[in-house]
Amino acid sequence: MKKGLSTTAILLILAVVVIAWGVKAYNNLVSGEETVSTAWAQVENVYQRRADLIPNLVATVKGYAAHEQSTFEAVTQARANATGMTVDASNLTPEQIAEFQKAQGQLSTALGRLIAISENYPELKANENFKDLQAQLEGTENRISTERMKFNEAAKKFNVSVRRFPANIIAGIFGFQTKGYFEAAEGASTAPKVEF
Amino acid sequence: MALPMSADIPARPVPQRLVNDFALLFNGRQKAELEQMLVAFDDSTSNQIAVVTVNDLEGDDVNHYAVRIGLEWGVGSKEFNNGIVVLVKPKNATGYGEVAIQIGYGLEGAIPDIYAKRIIDYTMIPRFREGDYYQGVYDACQELMALASGEISEPRGGRGEESFAGLIIFILMLVFIFWAISKANKRGKGGGDDDNIGGGRHIFWGPFIGGSSSGSSWGGGRSGGFGGGFGGFGGGSFGGGGASGRW
Repeated sequence: MKKGLSTTAILLILAVVVIAWGVKAYNNLVSGEETVSTAWAQVENVYQRRADLIPNLVATVKGYAAHEQSTFEAVTQARANATGMTVDASNLTPEQIAEFQKAQGQLSTALGRLIAISENYPELKANENFKDLQAQLEGTENRISTERMKFNEAAKKFNVSVRRFPANIIAGIFGFQTKGYFEAAEGASTAPKVEF
Repeated sequence: MALPMSADIPARPVPQRLVNDFALLFNGRQKAELEQMLVAFDDSTSNQIAVVTVNDLEGDDVNHYAVRIGLEWGVGSKEFNNGIVVLVKPKNATGYGEVAIQIGYGLEGAIPDIYAKRIIDYTMIPRFREGDYYQGVYDACQELMALASGEISEPRGGRGEESFAGLIIFILMLVFIFWAISKANKRGKGGGDDDNIGGGRHIFWGPFIGGSSSGSSWGGGRSGGFGGGFGGFGGGSFGGGGASGRW
């Protein structure tokens, strides 16, 4: 009888240990996922900041180069597409992020053409308002680069914890998915820097 | 948009210091002067301005390089994220000169991108063009200090409060120890076994008292120590705000 009790006791203890570990693993995954969501929100923030700069930028360039209509239209359209393409934090799949990145990349290209116009208009280039907008745009591009880097780091950390054994068992049971990354891009989508 | 190539940034210096002149642009006196000014600024406001000069960015974007220094070294306090990184790469065999000012999250309000850009264009680059790297950096730091302290100004003399609290705790511990010892002594007189326990208690508290004394003097000594040197980076974070320029 003593032997039977010991076995039951051992099994009970094992069960408690496994459940305790399971709870800890689950909570770790939840924390990790929240970090990724927060990092994603930051990315969206800084892209929005860029979008917010654009109307002012277009207006300033128009003041000096009114007939570059096609460029203005391209930027306005690209901006509308980019701000329309949002990704929910619960759906950060590689495909969704790639689509998001593509829309923003097209805006980068259109912006690059807009800025390049100033090369042909020295008065525009010297305009203080334009210079300030330039500075803000460059600062925003750097913020975008930084938040994307931080997002990738958070996503990597989370993905490792989702895929590692034995935590992947918990991940599978509760449906934690790996997150997508921002890919190092295509030179064509980099907004060129205009130096004075 | 391309994620820039990531060059190896310099490791956080040991012992930690605010002025890191890897490109050897400043002489000994200039380095000391700048370090002293920035350490005093850290002491009086907790804002940390790190100056780094390198000879080669190894193809990395200057802003990206500076942000990574800020993030990996942890410039600025964790509580306020009030760090600034001033990065200078002089004009040399590897190409044109580049400079970046990166601002921690907490100071973005006081030093928006436009201000950083103006400091670079009007204060730094004109001096750099003349080859006067020190004056350009020094004057820029003065401007940054004026802007930053308007936003965040938490003197580290707050450490005086820490050692005072340490003193109170030490006194309380002494009181508790004497109380516990007197209780142990009372019990010790009761029986044979208790004598050992009482004796054990005496031995046990000995090193603890010794530890408490050194703990308190550490508390007192610390405030004095920081008058002389840099206390270390605080783990502040950066979001990519700031500006850059080249010449």
